[in-house]
Amino acid sequence: MKRFIIAFIAAYVFIFVWGWLLNGVVFKDIYAQTPNLWRSQSEMMSLFHWIIIGQALIVFAFVMIYASGFAGGGVIAGIQLGILLEIAAIGMRMGFYAVQPFPGKLIVYGSVGGLIEMIIVGAIVGAIYKPASARTQ
Amino acid sequence: MRGAHEEVPALFRTKPDFPWLILGHIVMAFFFTMLCIRFVPAGGVFATATLGILVGLVYAGPHLISFAVEPLTTKILGGWIVGAVIQFAIAGGIVGAIYKPSSPASSRH
Repeated sequence: MKRFIIAFIAAYVFIFVWGWLLNGVVFKDIYAQTPNLWRSQSEMMSLFHWIIIGQALIVFAFVMIYASGFAGGGVIAGIQLGILLEIAAIGMRMGFYAVQPFPGKLIVYGSVGGLIEMIIVGAIVGAIYKPASARTQ
Repeated sequence: MRGAHEEVPALFRTKPDFPWLILGHIVMAFFFTMLCIRFVPAGGVFATATLGILVGLVYAGPHLISFAVEPLTTKILGGWIVGAVIQFAIAGGIVGAIYKPSSPASSRH
């Protein structure tokens, strides 16, 4: 349980910082091109807790999947899980692109950023979380 | 969800771009199936449906984040989250029911 919590916190801290770097800094100009699709800055800040809960849910479910089916495989298994989940998520992004008027480059850059993010999250979780049987050996 | 989406027309295209919609679902289904096979090599409806619920929760996270940054309604948010969890739970159940390993899997790793 302790390893689960440490893996969760480490992955969460990374995803929070990475999310801010991508969406708050790197993609800022792309978002500015489509202001009608986004809430105002003050509105976003008032709903910021949803971002925190959303990121926590992503990391929690990721660590749960890793702990129940991939644990023991270490960093490589974590990275594999991250890649599989993210490529499926790219499919979901394509679906959103089909129904919402997002700029194409936001989908492309977001997918590349998401893939890097999930590879690193997988590596972090795989490096930290060890099943009880592996730790006693 | 159509009615809920029509409440915020500025956020949606007037007509879906079907090739992207279909391709996106194919990519999602293919890699979700790969994940099921990697996660539960022996197959089984319950195990893959459980994985589907967890995957649905992974994708519910971005919906919550979207709600914070896009002017979506709570009705849309709720529908997307419940829809994602149910969609992947059923997809997992389908994969678990159909997929049978060619030789008995001795280990999950």
